[in-house]
Amino acid sequence: MIPAAFFVAACCLWEAIVRLAQVPLYILPPPSAILSEIVEQNLSLLKHTGVTMIEAIAGFAAANLIAFALAVVFAHSRILEKGLYPYAIALKTTPVVAIAPLLVLWLGTDMRSKMVTSALICFFPVLVNATRGLRAVNEEALDLFESLAATRWQVFRLLRLPNSLPYLFSALKISSSLSVIGAIVGEFVGANSGLGYLILVSSYHLETPALFAAVVAAAISGIAFFGVVSWVERKVLVWQEPSEV
Amino acid sequence: MKTPASAVQVRNLSKSYGKLQVLDQISLEVSKGEFVSIVGASGGGKTTLLKIIGGLVKPTSGEVLLDGLPPTERRREGYLGFVFQNPVLLPWRTLEENVRLPLEILHQNGFPQEQINELLDTLGLSGFETSYPRQLSGGMQQRAALARVLLYKPSLLLMDEPFGAVDEITRTRLNFELLKVWEKFHTTILFVTHSLDEAILLSDRVVVLTSRPAKIYRILTVDLPRPRSMETMNSAQFHDLVRWTRERLKIDSQS
Repeated sequence: MIPAAFFVAACCLWEAIVRLAQVPLYILPPPSAILSEIVEQNLSLLKHTGVTMIEAIAGFAAANLIAFALAVVFAHSRILEKGLYPYAIALKTTPVVAIAPLLVLWLGTDMRSKMVTSALICFFPVLVNATRGLRAVNEEALDLFESLAATRWQVFRLLRLPNSLPYLFSALKISSSLSVIGAIVGEFVGANSGLGYLILVSSYHLETPALFAAVVAAAISGIAFFGVVSWVERKVLVWQEPSEV
Repeated sequence: MKTPASAVQVRNLSKSYGKLQVLDQISLEVSKGEFVSIVGASGGGKTTLLKIIGGLVKPTSGEVLLDGLPPTERRREGYLGFVFQNPVLLPWRTLEENVRLPLEILHQNGFPQEQINELLDTLGLSGFETSYPRQLSGGMQQRAALARVLLYKPSLLLMDEPFGAVDEITRTRLNFELLKVWEKFHTTILFVTHSLDEAILLSDRVVVLTSRPAKIYRILTVDLPRPRSMETMNSAQFHDLVRWTRERLKIDSQS
């Protein structure tokens, strides 16, 4: 409730300043103008948001699957980890913005190139955390499994996998919001729909209220995605102490 | 005629980590159904000895046979059960799911639920079946660990200071609960502790190790009558035995 009250107060202040100082609409539109833009353009805004979210979710899903599979490999083989980890770091440190034009060149301006930019940005947190979670099992628990002659598969299924889940979910929460950023970055480079496209086009035409509407939609999408992942986390990690957000 | 194999047979066991020798020529036999404690200073190799007996660590030289077979073969049939200093419960499993874990690993499906309930009842865990480990007290967690190992009825229990992390009152209670289930299940128990009192209270024999490298210093036979109870603990006979042993060994015990 308190954050909502602050939000409303901030909007009122913003509205008042813009009106009193007579700031032109194309520089800084008041919240009321943004809101009416959102209401007016709701269908087209929804369409663009939908495109971005499909790209983001597809990238997120693909990245998580691949990163987790790789984490499983890393957790079982130090050699592969040593050999491949530097490339994973190289991938992380290369800015997605720098690779995005290449991806658009290779994959075209449709949704595929954005899925890949989104996946690239999601990949690393999941890889690192899942590897750590699969590894960080209690030594004595391993002894316990060994004293029962547990197979590697049993150790994985009954010990490593559940042990990695809290680590994995912290990474998923990070990459859920990153995935939306990744998709928008991809759209900046070349697209004909999506929030990134909308932001770019609105800024060309100085349609600042539309630009703001797109920014609001992007923010809400990111928060919603994060919220969904957090909700799933609470459902899955029932054994954990409820943690502070 | 072939004599029946001992539950545990340790022959000339040595273990070194690089230049550091931890165990030196240890030989020990434990009969079936016997309760044997191993005492010695902390960090003196007791845990390593227990892990070698359980097949978790390879010895540098020497051999271990459990009822005639090496530990790695024996454990496949659920022959041995480990109890560690920490309860080692899996936090994502409820108490009952934790207790059932060995059944899953050993593929003992269709284990009768009544036996699980009975065991949980014996150990005072009834009503907590669906609690997660974080919701249980330390003593209760250790009891759950005990239930987990007793459920699949291993022939040999290897216990590594299992009650070292709980308070003394709980520890005494757990000691007697352990004696109760030992008498009921006729398991062989190898019990590592640094407390001479605990060792004498529980065991038929007490193996005293020297430290670094650990060698067998003495093996004492404890002839206190069984079943042992609170009265045993308060008896002059028990206290005399502890004092006499401590003086002879000149070792410290935590009590």
